Amino acid sequence: MAFISIRSLTKSYTKGKTSVTPLENLSLDVPQGEFLALMGPSGSGKTTLLNLIAGIDTPSSGQLEINGRNIADLSQRQLTQWRATHVGYIFQLYHLVPVLSAYENIELPLLLGKLTKAERRMKIQAALDLVDLSDRAHHRPAELSGGQEQRVAIARAIVHHPELLVADEPTGDLDRDSADSILTLLQQLATEHGKTIVMVTHDPKAAQAAHRTLHLEKGQLINNPRQ
Amino acid sequence: MLPFTYALRNLFRDLSRLAQTVGGSALVVLLLIASVALNQGMDSVLSASGSAKNVILVGKGSEESIERSEVHLDAESSVITSIRGLEEQLGTPAVSGEITYQAPIRTASGKEDQALLRGVLEKALLVHRSVRLLEGHFPAPGEVMVGKLAHRNLGVDASELALGQRIYFENEALNVSGIFTAPGTVLESEIWFDRNDLASLTQRDTLSAITLRMDNAEFDDVHVFTLQRNDLELAAIREDVYYSKLGAFYQPIKVMIWVTAALVSAGAIFGGLNTLYAAFASRIREMATLQSIGYTRGALLVSLIQESLLATLTGTLLAFLIAYFLLDGRTVPFSVGTFTLILTPQVILTGLAAGILLGTIGTLPPAIRCLSPSLPKALRSS
Ligand SMILES: Nc1ncnc2c1ncn2[C@@H]1O[C@H](COP(=O)(O)OP(=O)(O)OP(=O)(O)O)[C@@H](O)[C@H]1O
Ligand SMILES: [Mg+2]
Repeated sequence: MAFISIRSLTKSYTKGKTSVTPLENLSLDVPQGEFLALMGPSGSGKTTLLNLIAGIDTPSSGQLEINGRNIADLSQRQLTQWRATHVGYIFQLYHLVPVLSAYENIELPLLLGKLTKAERRMKIQAALDLVDLSDRAHHRPAELSGGQEQRVAIARAIVHHPELLVADEPTGDLDRDSADSILTLLQQLATEHGKTIVMVTHDPKAAQAAHRTLHLEKGQLINNPRQ
Repeated sequence: MLPFTYALRNLFRDLSRLAQTVGGSALVVLLLIASVALNQGMDSVLSASGSAKNVILVGKGSEESIERSEVHLDAESSVITSIRGLEEQLGTPAVSGEITYQAPIRTASGKEDQALLRGVLEKALLVHRSVRLLEGHFPAPGEVMVGKLAHRNLGVDASELALGQRIYFENEALNVSGIFTAPGTVLESEIWFDRNDLASLTQRDTLSAITLRMDNAEFDDVHVFTLQRNDLELAAIREDVYYSKLGAFYQPIKVMIWVTAALVSAGAIFGGLNTLYAAFASRIREMATLQSIGYTRGALLVSLIQESLLATLTGTLLAFLIAYFLLDGRTVPFSVGTFTLILTPQVILTGLAAGILLGTIGTLPPAIRCLSPSLPKALRSS
């Protein structure tokens, strides 16, 4: 069974009399440890799909199984808890908390668990080492470059060892070199650490870093070529 | 739960907002405790002034105002002979016929202002039990004794009413022969004359009222006396009832105090709410991010409230400090006496409760508005 298993997934938003359906009857399988790139024109439903996979949003209908669990059935409260342990979300604009240092930002997911301070310190140190930012631990986001901020954001997304990472245009705001180092990092997380990664991108070069690329158009996957 | 440092550092994100919330809550709390202290001060001086054991006999129809009342001089001896069960000291019954009068008094510096005058004989001390001479002696003819706070009502320095000073009434000079205290009562703001002096200076041949102190007599006994001797045209009123009625007379002033405080506070609160709305609205995406990490809306709400409480309680503390240095112990003159503003535990608790409510209830509307958008929508916002 695939790590992510999506069957006939539909998401529509109704506002008053009008209703938008960004995703319609979509099916998709992603095996454990795969680094998947999602491409598609603006408004094609990429972020919507990512949010559903990450348990940020709930589907209108269909089945959405992550690691054998149908998260479409979870309540808001259960979803929040599920996110806290199983997902790391990486945003285009990093979304670091400006008043907290890199170290404290990375600590955020750990504070939801029951770890001691020393245990947290070890995990944060390991995450910082992985993204190669040990020397910036006590800097605030404003004191970091965009690439460094994104690496802190990745450390924050992985520090609690979730099996699933979702990234919405993680290199969209970065220069080529910074983007490349982020992509290398993601590749490493998939191949060496077994993370399943779904990444939305507009950049064909970024997509090349992934194991597989899917194209979304008007809420449908238009082709599904194995690479 | 989010770490407390998060709330603490959020507080310093925008220093002008911090200044506004701290200053605004300090203003609201200060106004509140000032209003409560004013009310309490006025109430307590009036309630301390009247004793349930004292009965005032006034001229019929003048129950509302002793000043307008006229009582025949002979009534005093009739009271002494007719009513049984009055307090006595060394054979003198506690019955004091007095003249009360409001008139301008001039002090040595030439300043003239309305003062509360009382013409008494020494037995007045038998009914007004709170009065104690601090210095000097009871006034003989040509002399007065002044209450410790009388200078506040005259608007002069205490030294102008010190022992040995002269005051002028109706172009007559009088020596200050004594200073008395009557803690917490309106008497403390009065100037006491020898009764015959005041009678001749004001050219009257009647008393204003007779105050008597009951031992085992009851109010009804006094009331029955007024009915039996209806030729004297007297009405009896318990002293504490008289002063609480006087308090009702000041009700409109109290309402004004509250309305003013409420209007100014409303301005400060709406201003504060507005800045909070703006401050929280600018953090919608950040709070959505924290939710995506796994923090619940409840946890975020708690953090926002912590943040606000830090600001409003700092403001409350500031208000207490200002009140301590500017209000506590300050005396405020009003028409029948002088009251003191005191930061009683009740005043402090009221202020503290206000600070807590501002930080909690006041935070809810902006916090809820900022936490209500759906997660995907909030993550999109910039
Ligand atoms: N909360 C919502 N209410 C109504 N419509 C929405 C909502 N969220 C998304 N949509 C609509 O769904 C469609 C897909 O949006 P989505 O954000 O998934 O696109 P996208 O592929 O991520 O685009 P981009 O590349 O610009 O980020 C759009 O037409 C959008 O307007
Ligand atoms: Mg998008």
